[in-house]
Amino acid sequence: MTERPLRLLLDFDAQAQRDKEQPPAFLHRRDRKFALVCKEQGFAPDAARWLNHMKRLAGPGASAQAGEHTLTLWRRINAGFAGTGVVFGIFTMLGLLFYDGGQRINITLFLAFVLFQLVLALFTSIQSLAGWQPWHWLLRRLNSSPTKGVAHRLHPALMARAAHLGGFCFALAGLFTLLVLVVVQDLAFGWSTTLDTGSGSYHRLLTAVAAPWAWLWPAAVPDPGLVEATRFFRAEPGSGGLNPEVWGQWWPFVTMLWATWVLLPRLLLFILASALIRHKARQQLNSHPAMHALLYRMETPALDTGIERNDARDLPDTDTRSNLRPLPDSDTLVCWAGACEPELPEPLRSGKHLILKAGGRASLTDDQRVLNQVAEQAAHTADKAVLVVTRCWQPPTGELQDFLEAGQTLWPAGIRVVLVPLAADINQVPPLHQIQPWLRFAERLGHDFVMVSLPELDLQTQDAASKELP
Amino acid sequence: MTSAPTFAVVGHPNKGKSSVVATLSQNDGIAVALEPGTTRKRQAYPLSVDGRILYTLVDTPGFQRPRRVLEWLEAHSISASDHAETVRSFVTQHQGDGRFTDECELLKPLVEGAGIIYVVDGSVPYSAEHEAEMTILRWTGRPSLALINSIGADDYSDIWQAALGQFFQVVRKFDAVRAPFEQHLGLLRAFGQLEPDWEHPLEQATHFLSEQRQYRRQQSAALIAGALEDMMSFREKRTLTSGQAADVSDGSLARQLRQSWYRHQRQREQALRVAIEHLYQHQRIHRQEAELEWHSKHDLFSEDSRRTWAVSKRYLATAGFGAGAVSGAGIDALTLGHSLGTGALVGGLIGAAGSYFYGDRLMLPALNIGVLKDGLKTATFGPVQDSQFGYVVLGRAVDHWWHISQRNHAGRGFLDLEPADHHWLESLDKKSRQDIQQAFDKRRKGRPLDDRQRRKFIAAIGQSMAAYDEWRLNQT
Repeated sequence: MTERPLRLLLDFDAQAQRDKEQPPAFLHRRDRKFALVCKEQGFAPDAARWLNHMKRLAGPGASAQAGEHTLTLWRRINAGFAGTGVVFGIFTMLGLLFYDGGQRINITLFLAFVLFQLVLALFTSIQSLAGWQPWHWLLRRLNSSPTKGVAHRLHPALMARAAHLGGFCFALAGLFTLLVLVVVQDLAFGWSTTLDTGSGSYHRLLTAVAAPWAWLWPAAVPDPGLVEATRFFRAEPGSGGLNPEVWGQWWPFVTMLWATWVLLPRLLLFILASALIRHKARQQLNSHPAMHALLYRMETPALDTGIERNDARDLPDTDTRSNLRPLPDSDTLVCWAGACEPELPEPLRSGKHLILKAGGRASLTDDQRVLNQVAEQAAHTADKAVLVVTRCWQPPTGELQDFLEAGQTLWPAGIRVVLVPLAADINQVPPLHQIQPWLRFAERLGHDFVMVSLPELDLQTQDAASKELP
Repeated sequence: MTSAPTFAVVGHPNKGKSSVVATLSQNDGIAVALEPGTTRKRQAYPLSVDGRILYTLVDTPGFQRPRRVLEWLEAHSISASDHAETVRSFVTQHQGDGRFTDECELLKPLVEGAGIIYVVDGSVPYSAEHEAEMTILRWTGRPSLALINSIGADDYSDIWQAALGQFFQVVRKFDAVRAPFEQHLGLLRAFGQLEPDWEHPLEQATHFLSEQRQYRRQQSAALIAGALEDMMSFREKRTLTSGQAADVSDGSLARQLRQSWYRHQRQREQALRVAIEHLYQHQRIHRQEAELEWHSKHDLFSEDSRRTWAVSKRYLATAGFGAGAVSGAGIDALTLGHSLGTGALVGGLIGAAGSYFYGDRLMLPALNIGVLKDGLKTATFGPVQDSQFGYVVLGRAVDHWWHISQRNHAGRGFLDLEPADHHWLESLDKKSRQDIQQAFDKRRKGRPLDDRQRRKFIAAIGQSMAAYDEWRLNQT
């Protein structure tokens, strides 16, 4: 339960890293779909549900979440700290309570050690809140693949929690050792200091220290008589005639001192560190850049512009071996689809006996009449070519194909059709890209019957255009 | 609940029908060529929101035998009231007839209820031979709109407009390759004018498309920020054993490291380019840009690029003052304000002076070749030591983003990324400059940005994009 927000954050971050490789359109479709399903089922889509959904779809065979690796590492670190704490706790307490029968166990030393533990505990918390990482080397050694990003930012808090857990285990083991020693040994406590301190002020200090438990266990607060009686001096031999039982009356105070000022702070700080991790994990999850993007994707309708279709490379065959042919002499000229309007270029106009109009605005009956007239003309003259003038920018269509195929059937054998595409400005050579469709059209219809020529407008430009052709 | 409208894009062969569809459907996978008959079958491109179709565009082949079709229609019709029915009968009768494959493909969506988008090329003279096909379209009785799409440089659109006005309800000019995005939306709204029932779904569509564009812009800023973060902090590292170290001189090792550092940076920049192109659904752009070679004209690191994209001394000093002042303010905070802002002032002055005197030097990334230790020798190159490198990459990235965001999906030419000739960053506000400079400095020192800094950095890059947009607008 403690690790839930952290696990959520780590898993979310891992999923966000994987999503970086995905196209945005896919992510939007995926997450919007999830949000719509949630809406249908009456749930609000949130990160936990979303992650569960992802895990379910990934199936049982999917590799362990990256978050699990980080959590396992931290479990190990926590266990290491806890184990070390237990061992240190036992040995420290044995050291503190070392008693050979001839020497008292000094309560002042005990107080100083407890204060040191308290300072250590507070320092750990402050250092974590400030974000210092003096133990960074340890993590580097333990973690073969140092995590960047969100987990990295939680390291101070995680390390503080591990340290407090270690401290808690240390205190608990110490307390246990103390109680065992109290039972199995006759410990003689006393107090001693080099400073010129009276037992009255020492008692006031102890009362202040014992204040937290005074109401709970009055026997654990030393009375002035005990303080007065148990002061000892290093050079003083023996017990000075004091009742030996009095030396042992300190143990309730020592027990409560340890429990209240070493054990309890560590426990509280451990709980605080855990709460802080949960809070930070939640905060980081909410402010995760991928979370903003996810919420946007869930809230915004997924737009699909139908881009699945892809035939950009499926272009028509634009290779052609045809080439422009020289314009032959011919008496017959057909203007296709208004190509002679407003006028023909001079080289085409001169010397023509028959200029006919077909295609475009002309009706199909008109086309048929033109076909017949050309057939008749061809039968009476030695002309072997019919010029068909077209507008180069209007691509060849099925109607022209029909017209030429009808001509091929109707006209005398051996006659050729010469397509002459004209530019919008009849005195200019058509641009290359507008000639090529005509060449390919002629090639499709057959090499022998249809060819393409340009009017001899300007020899230089025409030559240039011809050279550009394949 | 009204059904989503369908629009059949029809016309004479080779007049840019597929280009119009490619641009409006944001699909650069549609075959577009200067060759009649590129489109052989009708193809539907639906625009859907959460799976709900708002409208569908249908790309169709061009008319091949309109006069023959019209002759058939006239021969089978008695009065104007049966025109639509006659067209339907034509399609039914000629399904599978090879001569009328194109006409059937073209007319089928119309007899099924599609609206007409008739496309002509406004750069060539009006031709009366189109009248047969326009008459057929009128026979269908469907709501109709004519688009004058200019493929070439000449402009005959006025004549076309007059002629088309006699046949179609609405006539619009629309350059499929160059029309800005706002015109796409305007055109979609115009489709909505054809039929009252179509207005609402098309309004929705324009709304969603606008939102999507806004989102793409934000995403682009985040992508650029991510790339800059990576590139500013990248370090090339190599560890050699003593045997390997003996075989290679320090000079040669430095050269190798430098080369792989440049290679990595160029690859990262290319990855950014591809990510932004895919974000805008451009899947197959061929970029024409200066090869990122050392000393080439528009090289990432060349003096020319630096002058074009990097910042002036004054600019760097301003940004440097901001960054320095922020560092100095930390001193003020530590003294609980007792320094009365002296820290910020001193920090700012140091920052400004540093930027002013050293800002115009494009320093090489730090090279560090370690000594042989435990039988291993470690050499590193980078991170880049000069923030100007970041500005160069930023400038190139914003320029590329702008071209991509302005590019229509009908455009199939090379994307020419010629560097701009003026310093647009000048118009960027001070706050954004400071945020960018701080992010650069932090990454240069190998420190990560926290969420707040990253958000500020992305916002500042968004501002840079806006500044560039504005600057481009003033250029044209």
